[in-house]
Amino acid sequence: MNLDWLDAFLVSGLFYVMMVIGLALLLHLQLGLARIANFGVVGFWGIGMYAFGVLFVKVDWPFGEVWAFLISVVFGTVVAGLAGLLVGWLIADLDIDGVLVGTLGFATAVWILATTEQDLTGGALGMGGLGFPYDIGSVKANETLWLVILTILVAIILYYVSRVHKSPYGRLLISIGDNEPLARSLGKAPFQTKLWLFAVSSAGMGLLGAMYGVNERFLETGNLGIDITLAAMVGLVLGSTTRMWGAAVGVALTVGLFDVVIQFYLPLPREWYTQAIPVLREMVFGGVLIIVLLFRPYGVLGDMRRDKLMRRMHGG
Amino acid sequence: MFEAKGIRSGYSGVTVIRDVDLSVEREVFAVLGANGAGKTTLLATLARLIPLMGGEIWFNGRDVTKLRPWETAALGLAYVPQEKGIFADLTVLENLQVGAMIGTRSREERVDEIIELFPDLGELRTQMAGTLSGGESRMLACGRALMQDPKILLLDEPTAGLSPIYVDVFFEKIREIHKTRDVTIVLAEQNAAKALEIADRVMVLNLGEASEVLDAAELTTEKLKEGYRI
Repeated sequence: MNLDWLDAFLVSGLFYVMMVIGLALLLHLQLGLARIANFGVVGFWGIGMYAFGVLFVKVDWPFGEVWAFLISVVFGTVVAGLAGLLVGWLIADLDIDGVLVGTLGFATAVWILATTEQDLTGGALGMGGLGFPYDIGSVKANETLWLVILTILVAIILYYVSRVHKSPYGRLLISIGDNEPLARSLGKAPFQTKLWLFAVSSAGMGLLGAMYGVNERFLETGNLGIDITLAAMVGLVLGSTTRMWGAAVGVALTVGLFDVVIQFYLPLPREWYTQAIPVLREMVFGGVLIIVLLFRPYGVLGDMRRDKLMRRMHGG
Repeated sequence: MFEAKGIRSGYSGVTVIRDVDLSVEREVFAVLGANGAGKTTLLATLARLIPLMGGEIWFNGRDVTKLRPWETAALGLAYVPQEKGIFADLTVLENLQVGAMIGTRSREERVDEIIELFPDLGELRTQMAGTLSGGESRMLACGRALMQDPKILLLDEPTAGLSPIYVDVFFEKIREIHKTRDVTIVLAEQNAAKALEIADRVMVLNLGEASEVLDAAELTTEKLKEGYRI
């Protein structure tokens, strides 16, 4: 396949945008529906990435690379899900301060583990040896196919989120987020509901982490900073925490605008890319967020419109 | 039968309800009392939303003292709080649907029954619950609780703050719910006159302590004044 027309930077930038959209969609389930402010997104993403990487690189698999890859991906996803279960169990009954501290603490713990467990993770030096489970020719072709696979995965997440919105489970999540004391009298346990939500969405975040690790071919602890969490959180808040498409719109307007359009297509001096842009990016993210929240407090798309959804589903 | 034996409860170590006994079966049971008498605390305790400090609660011969609120709800106990009895972020229809998380009958069948009982809710079905008026919210809260097909319905001052027309309509609805759906109702109410119109038996609560339980017809003005500390 001739991909000369395709810019390698564009593929890499779109991969990052698509991954953050996936994370923001999963965060939307937690924050937008159940009102759980998870500030440790990078922790679940990172633990999935490292669990996958360690198993794939460090274990001498007796069977083919594709199987080793698949097993490692499943392992990374399950480990992230189990971490979600543990963290969810700790924070499910806490107020917003407790959730903030608990999730941030978890993300920090993952970073410390990845840095100190050098035998497993390579520590600050990083860990190589990762690669695509296929080879269809050039690096660019492999990366483009990986972007397509990620896009399909994010589309599946989007479909899942839309199903949740229309399901009794979604209504229960909104009920819990809206009025938990009343939701306790509905006959379903809010604690278990939140725990399940946290486990499933964290597993999804871990899967996206594993996907990212493959794309980068190298795991480094520098990825485990607050950037990923901020990108997903700012994008979601900017688009609308409570609306499904808020994640996609918000991330496209922030990460998409900066990490694709400005970084790759604006004719800026070369030194800007290494020095000014990263700082400018955070400043503009913050500035845009303040402006949007001042004039559109519920984000660009506005607040949840369950009434419209109901009219579509039931008429009237 | 729903029975509370010597229950005590409160908040942060402060006892509000003191040794209250109560036993209800297939009736409208009114809990009367002035502001601060402990009516809301009593009903929230019976709904298991406030932990017990002492005593026992039995439901149809089963000790439910240690059960959690969703477990007693699953057994057939529904609760309508005085405030915040609806989910503002959901539509009217969705509020009714979340009420049907338990039970085996079809959700649609139950929604139709509730809309027959409260026709106004039918017209508002796609409206966000947070935009409803006070009276409409109370109807929805009551409808949401009835969607659980409860055997016992705990109603905490359902007409507080409503206009007189709504109050009359609401008390009629409570009577109708009890008669047509065979639901035992425990009604906490300040409006003694209206409550006594529909109640079979009555208990006056005063600073967390209960008076003797009487037939509604036996409650004299003197006993009521004593309970209300007038």
